[in-house]
Amino acid sequence: MTTTPAGAGGMIELKDVTKLYNEGRPNEVRAVAGANLVVERDKVTVFKGPSGSGKTTLLSIVGCLSRPTTGRVLLDGELVSGLPERFLTEVRRSTFGFVFQRFNLVRGLTVIDNVMLPAYPLAPPHAELRERALARLDALGLAGKAEMPVEHLSGGETQRAAIARALINDPKIVIADEPTANLDTALTERFLEIVAELRAEGRTVLMTSHDPRIWQSDLVDAVVEMRDGRIVGEFA
Amino acid sequence: MRRSSLALALVAGLTVALLGAFLHAASSVGETAARLEETRHLVARLGLSDLTLFTEARYTRHPAMADLHTPFQDHPMAFEHFPSGTLVPPPAHLPGGELRIVPAEDAR
Amino acid sequence: MTSPFARQRYLIDYTLAALGRRRGKNAGLLAIYTLVVFVLASAMLFASAIRFESTAVLADAPELTVQELVMGRHGLLPADHLDKLSAIRGVATVEGRLWGYFYDRANGANYTLMVPGRDAAEYSVGPGEAIIGEGLARSRGFKEGGALLLVSQTGKLLKARIKSVLSNDSALVSSDLALISEVDYRRFFELPDGVYTDAAVSIRNPREIAKIVEKATLALPSARFVTRSDIARTYESLFDWREGLLVALAAAAILAFAIFAAEKASGLSAEEAREIGILKAIGWDTTDIIAMKLWEGGLVSLGAFLLGTVLAYIHVFLFAAGLFEPVLKGWSVLYPDFALAPRIDALQLATLFVLTVIPYTAATLVPIWRTAVTDPDEVMR
Repeated sequence: MTTTPAGAGGMIELKDVTKLYNEGRPNEVRAVAGANLVVERDKVTVFKGPSGSGKTTLLSIVGCLSRPTTGRVLLDGELVSGLPERFLTEVRRSTFGFVFQRFNLVRGLTVIDNVMLPAYPLAPPHAELRERALARLDALGLAGKAEMPVEHLSGGETQRAAIARALINDPKIVIADEPTANLDTALTERFLEIVAELRAEGRTVLMTSHDPRIWQSDLVDAVVEMRDGRIVGEFA
Repeated sequence: MRRSSLALALVAGLTVALLGAFLHAASSVGETAARLEETRHLVARLGLSDLTLFTEARYTRHPAMADLHTPFQDHPMAFEHFPSGTLVPPPAHLPGGELRIVPAEDAR
Repeated sequence: MTSPFARQRYLIDYTLAALGRRRGKNAGLLAIYTLVVFVLASAMLFASAIRFESTAVLADAPELTVQELVMGRHGLLPADHLDKLSAIRGVATVEGRLWGYFYDRANGANYTLMVPGRDAAEYSVGPGEAIIGEGLARSRGFKEGGALLLVSQTGKLLKARIKSVLSNDSALVSSDLALISEVDYRRFFELPDGVYTDAAVSIRNPREIAKIVEKATLALPSARFVTRSDIARTYESLFDWREGLLVALAAAAILAFAIFAAEKASGLSAEEAREIGILKAIGWDTTDIIAMKLWEGGLVSLGAFLLGTVLAYIHVFLFAAGLFEPVLKGWSVLYPDFALAPRIDALQLATLFVLTVIPYTAATLVPIWRTAVTDPDEVMR
């Protein structure tokens, strides 16, 4: 994939993006309606808004998890919204790391197995991958729990395991959906520290949140406010 | 050790074992040929026509020789082979007038 | 560039880790499947080996056996029939044979009493002598040099010195034999001179056999003729029937197992569906998911196939199909102690492979198909 020179505009651009669910049926839902947005590289951007405002849908479109019904998505100036599923998966794998709201670790597997999962389709040498995963876990203070089944982790540990998994392929963009919804104040602080480290490493971070502790934080470079599927405000 | 290494090693091991079975079969051809030759000689000399797998009746002992209407008539305690045999009671002169298996000791 | 092999190994890692979560249940599944394959493979190996054995051994059975039929039943063959048969052009030798059954009350077994033919020099027995088969010797504890003592139903006594016991090697055809002299035979069964059990006919040119049977049918309208190829056909159909029965049963078992596996997999829990969603969201391709599931079904069924087949080989050829003995034995008291020539029919093995591996793999794969192609953003909702 080609990359545009630094400063050559936004890393991700959305143009007139609309997303309909259950299209053409009586229960049709317009989750996103005509969104235009530029997400800057190396910044921390937060989508805020009440539940059902379309912020999670927008995030999944940005992260190539789903395709817009109409409109275009450009990544580093390249059109990705029209790519076939197989290429979209490749883009997703090489560019994005995901931290889901419910963390979505695979139950029954060990922490380290979970962390290595996104790298399986890339098939790096096993010893190297293991080392990388252990280094990630170590950096997040989970080295001692690597061989433990994920069900045995506490809430904060589970999130950090999910972050380690999101970072295993060294993505340029990290996407987090409501990362602090299940965390207390101390753990939210810890999460923001991790976000700071990610930004320092030169990664772009995109989050949804209706938690003021997140979008009021000094770390956040841009806040995008959404309501009823529309972008109603952008603050730097 | 990686799980996949273990599994692939097991599959490989079992495949080798199966190939071993093929080899074993191939290598015992010479050994069994002599035995088969001897048996064949016996068959030719005595004019045998059948295998001794089932010795309970002439229909089973000599399936090639038995006329086609007489299954199971040689063993005094034999069941009838044809479906109608399930409807006809066994002969009354048999022990106790009922069908039961007589262990060898009792018969003695 | 990622190596496809390394990628598949990672998929195997995952599928095994996933199977390991319900270790007991999955191990039990593998064990049951192995057992099904074991029974099926044992039946196939046994049937093909015994078919081979019978074909090889009975290749030198009498070319033509002539029986007299009385009222549709096996009757005694009068001696003058032998002369009529000898007169047919193309017939080399005709030999009247004496053989029959004896039910021994002592052990409830049936023996085959037989008088060896003229040219069976090494098995010839004089009056008061006997050669007995391995099974008979074993069941009554007779030894070479001992006495064979049989009492007929009418109270006639047969007492003979056991000249030798036939070797174990030929047990499959000779286990229940007792070879005695013609004099002893006729006295014991109170059989008049001039009648025989049947006649063995040898023929100059084997290609003329149909012609000779045709002529003999005219000469002896009441007789029944059994050719060597009839014998071969009898065994072919006998084993086909028995094996077919077993295979049909086992195939039903496999089918039931496949239905069970499909049922288990199609009740794809919300958790499993969610797992597939997670894998897709974090960068797994639809093909990766399908390949992973193929490995699951493939490894389980291939493992069961290989293990079951190898165990079946050991069972049939190294342990003489011991588990089948009660089934084969049926009502017989005498069961030959025989070893089968080890051999594997590659085509049959391939059939078994297809029968076991493909349905199971398909059964694990099909239910996953729909889930594997759903949108990865499901996990976000």
